[in-house]
Amino acid sequence: MSRPVRPLEGLRIVDLSMGWAGPLATRNLADMGAQVIKVESCERFDWWRSWEATEEWIADNGAEKSPQYLYVNRNKQDITLDLEHPVGRELLLKLVATADALVENYSGGVLPKLKLDYPQLKKVNPELVMVSMPAFGSTGPWSEFRAYGSTVEHSSGLPHLVGDPDQAPTMQHVAFGDAVGGLNGTAAVLTALWHKQRTGEGQFVDLSQVECLFPLAAPGILHQSVHGQTPQRFGNAHPDHAPHGVYPCHGDDAWAVIQVTEETQWHQLQGIIPALLEFGDLDERLAKREAIDACIGAWTQQRTASEVMQTLQAVGVTAAKLNNGQELLDEPHLKDRAYLQWLERDHVGLQPHPSAPFRTAEEPIRITSPAPTLGQHNHAILVDLLGLSTDELRQLEQQGVVGTKPRMPSGKSAT
Amino acid sequence: MTIAPHSDALASQVFCDLTVVDVSGSVATSYASKLFADYGASVINVEPPEGFRTRRLKPMLSSGDSAMHGYLHTNKYSVLASRSLFQDEPVASQADLVIFDPEHLPNTDYLTDIAINTCAVSWYGLTGRYSSFKGSNAAVHALSGLMRGIGTVEGPPVIPPGYQAQMIGGLSAFNGALGHLLAQRLGNLKTPFELDASILEANMCFTDLGAINAYNENPLPPRMGINRFPPTYPLGIWPCKDGWLGVTNLTPGQWKAFCQLLDLAHFADIELFQSSVSRLESSDILEPEILQALARHSAEDLFYRGQAMRIPLARVPTMEELFTVDQYVSRNAFSQVQIGDETFAAPSTPFRLFAAPPHFGGPVAALGAHTQQWDGAP
Repeated sequence: MSRPVRPLEGLRIVDLSMGWAGPLATRNLADMGAQVIKVESCERFDWWRSWEATEEWIADNGAEKSPQYLYVNRNKQDITLDLEHPVGRELLLKLVATADALVENYSGGVLPKLKLDYPQLKKVNPELVMVSMPAFGSTGPWSEFRAYGSTVEHSSGLPHLVGDPDQAPTMQHVAFGDAVGGLNGTAAVLTALWHKQRTGEGQFVDLSQVECLFPLAAPGILHQSVHGQTPQRFGNAHPDHAPHGVYPCHGDDAWAVIQVTEETQWHQLQGIIPALLEFGDLDERLAKREAIDACIGAWTQQRTASEVMQTLQAVGVTAAKLNNGQELLDEPHLKDRAYLQWLERDHVGLQPHPSAPFRTAEEPIRITSPAPTLGQHNHAILVDLLGLSTDELRQLEQQGVVGTKPRMPSGKSAT
Repeated sequence: MTIAPHSDALASQVFCDLTVVDVSGSVATSYASKLFADYGASVINVEPPEGFRTRRLKPMLSSGDSAMHGYLHTNKYSVLASRSLFQDEPVASQADLVIFDPEHLPNTDYLTDIAINTCAVSWYGLTGRYSSFKGSNAAVHALSGLMRGIGTVEGPPVIPPGYQAQMIGGLSAFNGALGHLLAQRLGNLKTPFELDASILEANMCFTDLGAINAYNENPLPPRMGINRFPPTYPLGIWPCKDGWLGVTNLTPGQWKAFCQLLDLAHFADIELFQSSVSRLESSDILEPEILQALARHSAEDLFYRGQAMRIPLARVPTMEELFTVDQYVSRNAFSQVQIGDETFAAPSTPFRLFAAPPHFGGPVAALGAHTQQWDGAP
C-alpha cells in the first residue's frame, strides 16, 4: 500500500452548515484535505455548540466544549461574520468568489432573505458548486418545513420496517437522518466537483435528507411496489433463516448477534452447542425458532458476549457482540486499525477523533487539526486571504460584525 | 472500452468519462457502483455464471428476477466472467476503478500487477483482528454500537432490517473512491490507489459520538425503550386519532409551541421543562397527557399545523403511503426500474445536480447481456 495522501488538497469549501448533517458532509471533505472554512456569527453560532445557550454558558466557554461540535468540525477553519450586516455579507461574497464549493443547510428562505442564495452567489463565482441540503429538498410543498435528523427518519417511513409488529414504528437512533444526510452531502459535493473539473461548470445541487434514507428502506419500498402489500415486520427473526437473533450473554445488558445463513454454519453451531443436535433442516428450524433460541440463549448466558463472538467466529458462524460507547473506546479491532486518533484542543484537552472510514495505507488518513474555536481564523481568512487591513478587522470587531466570543441573540434575555 | 455508452445523452453526464468495474456484486459494492452509474459512468458488472448474489435477493418479480438487484443495477452492463476468481480478467485492465468484496475475491495479485485503481469494500477492513471474521449487516450494527440503543429496556435490542449497513458502506466507499479519483485529476495523487473501505467504520458515523461521550465521562444512558433517546423529550413516534406522528422538541421555543398546539398550556412555562434533559427526566409526568392530547387529533392535521408553527413534526408514512406523499411525488423521489417487461418503483438518487441530473430509474441488464459486446481487446 502507498503512503497516506490528502486527496482534496487545494480545494476550498465554504461551510455555511450547522448541526450534524452539513458539518459532517464538509468534515469528510476536510478529512480528505480540502480547506473548509466554516462561517458562523457571534449571535448565530452553530447550534450544535448548544441549543440552550445562557450567559453562564458563554462565560464558562461552553461554546468551545461541546463534544458533538468538536468532532464534526475538526480539520476546518472558522470565521465569524454577521451576514445581516452589509459588510459581513460583502465579505462572505468575497470569500465565495475564491471558493470551489459552498455547503449550506439553513432553513428554507433564510439565504434568499439575506440575498445570498445561489443566483446571487453565482454572480460573484459562476463556477461555484453550491450544495443545499434541507430536510425535504429545496423544491416541493414541504421545502421550507423544519426537521431534525429524527424528523428525517420519521418522514422516511423506515420506522415501519423496524422491530416487532406489535410495537410502534421504531426509530433506530436519536438523529438517524443526520449521519446519512452527511455522507450523501459529501457524495453530492464530490460529484459536482468532478463535473466542474471536467467541464468548468459550477451548479446548484439539491439534496433531500429524507430521500437519502429511502435507499436504506429499499427492501420495504420494493416489496410494496412489487407486491402491493405492506411488508411484514419480523423483529429479530428472519423469514428465511434460523437461528437468527440477539441473545443474552453473561453480564449486565450484554448481548450477541448470531446468524446462521448456510447449512455449514448450522452444523458448526451444533458442534459448539450439542443441545441443537435434536433440530434438523431449515424447515424444522424455521418452525421451531423459539425452542432453538432458548437452547442458544442458555449457552450464551454462560459466556461473555466477546467469548460468544470469538468462539463462533472461530468456526465460521456469523456472530458479533453488541458494543456500547465505552466498549467502542476499548474495541481491540478498532485499536488494531488505529481508528481513533487523539488531538489536543483548547478548553477540552486531549480528545478522540474517529478516522475516515477508508484508507490507502495501513494507517488511516491523518487528522491534522482539532475543531477551531469561534472565529479562530478571522485574521488568517479576512486579512491574509481577503485583504482586509488589521485596522479594518479591529473596526469590524468593535461593530460586532466579527468576533471570537458568542453573544446571546439581540433581544433575548440571558436568563 | 469496446462497449459503447447506452446512448448519446450519456456523453454529457457527470461520469461519462469513467469506467467502473464491479467484480463482486455485494450490496455494498453494488450501491457504490450504482452511484457512479446513476451519474453516467460505464459500470460493468463482471458476474459469475450464476450471477451476482444480488440477483437472489427478495423481493422477486413474477419473472423470478430480483427487484433488489434491479434497484441496485440500473443502467449498468453485465458481462460474464471469462475466468474463475477474476484472474486475468481482461475487462478490468481498462477500468478507471475496480470495486470488489475481498471475501469473494481472495486473490487480487492480478489487479496489483496491472496497477489499477481499486476499492475493496469489506465488512471490517483489510487489516485488524476481525478482518477475516464472518460479516453481516446485523453484525456491523452490533459492533458499531447502533443496536445497543434500539428496543425495549429489558431487551433484546433490535436488529435494523435489510441491508442498511452495506448501503452506508457502499456510499462511504463511493466517497472515498471518488475523492481519490478526483485527487488524480487534481494532480494530488500520481499513482494508482488501493482503497480499503470498511463497512463497520462507515457505520460508526451513527455511534462515534457515543464513544466520545464515554471518554468525556458523559456516557449515554442504557437503552431507554422504544423510540426514547437522550438528550431530549418529547421525541418519538406516537399514535394519533389516525396514523402516526413523529415528534421532536429540542428548544424551549419548540416546547412552548408544542404545548400550545396540543392545548397543554399548563406545561408551557414551567421552568423545569424549558430544558430538554429535564423534560426527558420528567417524561413519566408528561407522557400520559401528551398521549391523551395526540389521540384527539389526526396526525395529518397536527403535522401541518405544527409545521406552520415551526415545530419539526412529521407524518410517519407507511410504505404504501410513501408513494402518495405529495412532497415525494412532486420531486420524483421514486422512479421506474425496468427488468424485461416488468417495471416497479424504486428510490431515485437522493442528490440532484441541476445542470447534470442523474438517471431516474432505467433498464437492468440480463445476466451476461453485454458479454458479446466485449471483445477482450486491450
